[in-house]
Amino acid sequence: MMRWRNNQYKTQKQHKSDYSTAEKQDQDVLTGNIGYDLEHVKRKIGHNGDVHFRELEITQLHVKAALIFVEGLSDQDLINKGLSVLVMNQPNQVSDEISQSGKGILTSKQIKNQIVSIGDVIDSEKISDIVLNVFMGSTALLIDGIPQAFLLGTVKKQNRSIEEPLSEALVRGPRTGFTEELSTNTALLRQQGKNDQLTLQRFEVGTRLKKDLIIAYMNDIADPKVVEEVRKRVRGIEIDHLPESGYVEQLIEDNYLSPFPQVQSTERPDRVISGLMEGRVAILLDGTPFALIVPVTFSMMLQSPEDYYERWFPSSLIRLLRFIAAMITLFAPALYISFISFHPGLIPTKLAISISGTRQGVPFPSLIEALFMEVAIEILREAGLRLPKPIGPAIGIVGGLIIGEAAVQAGIVSPIMVIVVALTAISSFAIPHYSTGIALRMLRFGAMFCAAVFGLFGVIMYYLLLSSHVVKLKSFGVPYASPAVPYHLKDWKDFVIRMPLLVMKRRPKMMNTDNTKRVK
Amino acid sequence: CWSSREIEDLGLTFAIAIDKGKETNTEKELKEEGGSYPKKDNITLTYQFVNEKAAGAGTSGGGGSGQGAQKAYINISETGDSLQQIGSEVALRRDREVFSPHLKVVVMSEDVLHTFPIDEMLDQFFRDNEIRLSCLVLSAKGEARDALQLKENGEIPAFRLIGLGENEHKVSRILPPMTLAKLIGKLHSGSSFLLQNVVAANGAVKYSGAAVINGKSKKMIGTLNEYETEGITWIRGEGKGGVVKSHDKKSQQTLAYDINKIKSRIQPIVKGKDISFHVDIESEGDLVENWNTKEALDTQFIDRLETTIENEVKKIVGQVLKKIQHDYKADVAGFDESFRLTYPHLWKRVKNNWDDTFSKADITYSVNVTITHFGTVKTQ
Repeated sequence: MMRWRNNQYKTQKQHKSDYSTAEKQDQDVLTGNIGYDLEHVKRKIGHNGDVHFRELEITQLHVKAALIFVEGLSDQDLINKGLSVLVMNQPNQVSDEISQSGKGILTSKQIKNQIVSIGDVIDSEKISDIVLNVFMGSTALLIDGIPQAFLLGTVKKQNRSIEEPLSEALVRGPRTGFTEELSTNTALLRQQGKNDQLTLQRFEVGTRLKKDLIIAYMNDIADPKVVEEVRKRVRGIEIDHLPESGYVEQLIEDNYLSPFPQVQSTERPDRVISGLMEGRVAILLDGTPFALIVPVTFSMMLQSPEDYYERWFPSSLIRLLRFIAAMITLFAPALYISFISFHPGLIPTKLAISISGTRQGVPFPSLIEALFMEVAIEILREAGLRLPKPIGPAIGIVGGLIIGEAAVQAGIVSPIMVIVVALTAISSFAIPHYSTGIALRMLRFGAMFCAAVFGLFGVIMYYLLLSSHVVKLKSFGVPYASPAVPYHLKDWKDFVIRMPLLVMKRRPKMMNTDNTKRVK
Repeated sequence: CWSSREIEDLGLTFAIAIDKGKETNTEKELKEEGGSYPKKDNITLTYQFVNEKAAGAGTSGGGGSGQGAQKAYINISETGDSLQQIGSEVALRRDREVFSPHLKVVVMSEDVLHTFPIDEMLDQFFRDNEIRLSCLVLSAKGEARDALQLKENGEIPAFRLIGLGENEHKVSRILPPMTLAKLIGKLHSGSSFLLQNVVAANGAVKYSGAAVINGKSKKMIGTLNEYETEGITWIRGEGKGGVVKSHDKKSQQTLAYDINKIKSRIQPIVKGKDISFHVDIESEGDLVENWNTKEALDTQFIDRLETTIENEVKKIVGQVLKKIQHDYKADVAGFDESFRLTYPHLWKRVKNNWDDTFSKADITYSVNVTITHFGTVKTQ
């Protein structure tokens, strides 16, 4: 079905491009007559109010010229400085040389070398090229008599300063995060350390709004097969527009029906680099601070860079804690339901008495009770996320305390349920990777329904179902559940616990890296 | 949601008391209204349920920690001849079905133990897969259901009965808990054993003595009092604490010895056809009370006190040995176990008639008490 649709899409596109090439033949090339050419370009983009056409005359040579640029996108100062030679003063030197050449007209070489003092100049005779580049911030210089336009690199960078990544705050670790500017991000990667093997391969993605995408990997470490697979998938992206790397993620992931994220997104250059050092590949997209790391395993989603920055013993315990938190997130309400509704004999006796007592007034079965509270807390979370910063925490307090307390007072839920729900919510926030947290929260509801139908048996069946899915899942050829399944004992040094750095002498075996030694 | 049973719809049972058939007033009234079925009134079962309303009021009402005006438990008695039938009969009287995985204690009255073999009486408990084998079995003097009464509000008597058993560190007159699981072993091996006894009066209970159950007839043949129960603890060497009180011979003043450790070794000796035993008891402990403040607390004095305590222990042990050997002719102190381990081949020959063999055996014993600490009080 998908393939059929793709094919149809392709033939349509081909048809269109045939049509445009036919049109190009007579219209897309500059003539050299500035009046005619300018008219032509204007016709093509003149209806855009932000495009400026500035006609001028090179006084000494009595040659007409025109500048085309987009307001705001091009650096006005740079234009002024770079073209000051051209426009008014000191034309003597130029004209001398020109008269020496004996022709009386400017050649494109002379313009590039002597008149324009801007570093980045490309000449082009195609109007479509000119238009595209002008819209990207270049300034086009047209000179009468020359059938070429000079595209001056006057792109004004709309930069945000480098800030601490919001979504991945650490206590200890670099405070730098990626920005929306691709060149800044690549520079951040290069600045992580001197190395001649860091390869940044550039791709252009998006069929209508074109954007730069960079694949980064360590040439001497990464498995060439994985790199080639990433290249192949990136080339396969055919979509109008990619506003965020989340688009890339969804277009290149192995299984779009899986609840688990198969690509890791991060704002941290240090995290990207350590990924690369393990033989992984990073994908950076222009316009977003989120870089993608592939291939990933589930255990990576529960790891934080801080695990490596702190000493190994506390890090290992914290990592263990995260695994526990993940289990709580997934199963706490389901276990509550199955204990309350199916296996009251498994609860410690005194707890059973107090639960039995507090549930006296509760009119709903435990599933409805749990659903009610879980949905309420998800709404609170979502609302807190959207609210402006000063109000967010207030809503949390209002929602958490008042709804929780009032619901218990009103006898809609039991106090134990409130504890379970709160514990679950807190646990889900302990998971460092946001998308994984969401995925587990979503899967929790499935577990709750299974528990309500089959009790503990249902919970176990649900766990087996999830496990069988995770075991089958692969991310760019690497099994998602590794190093647990398939079993690589050596990789367990960096799995549930993190062994001391000196013990982790080799790169992860599952990554099949070229160069395995990490510690001499 | 099939087979789901919400916890609030279940009647959590914590204790069951088994008495000889004697219908309660409520039952009689119900019977007069025609609420009965064909049965023999052999036994009366008393189920103890939690009173959910009282338990809930304690936690969610705020403030009152279970000290509501209501009792925290509800006892329901039902008379009949089959335990299972009685249990289902209770479901006709209470909206919450009997749910027994949380059953903690079974209390059987001496009357029942005298009349019915214990394995027949508890058969239903062993077969029912809802009941946990960690459930404690006690005997009760008088009516067993009286042990399930409590004067104070807000507490559940069943927990009190279990809690008493956990005071072994303070008293040596408590037997190690006899659970259903252990009881199965005893019943299958056919050896005689003891059940911890409770006495109840007016909503108060006390662990007092033990009931002696004969391994052959599985019926109760007598009781041991508190003092004798203590002797059993000494012979078995199972005590974790407790006090030995004595009087110094010379000054006739009270002194008390706090047990820290009891070690006992039962040594079977076989000479030809004669079987005899030697029990070697060692103990370490503290001198915690000494009313004789006149004498200097020197080694000599300590030695004298040790001897006094040793004699006291010998007295205790001698009394209980005499009782179980000659009065009851039942080995409840673990002599069979040590004999089986030392002479496994001989054991096969004597095990069928063990209690008889035991009652004829010669038993000697030696006690060695060491006082390790005697406090910081300086005596002149």
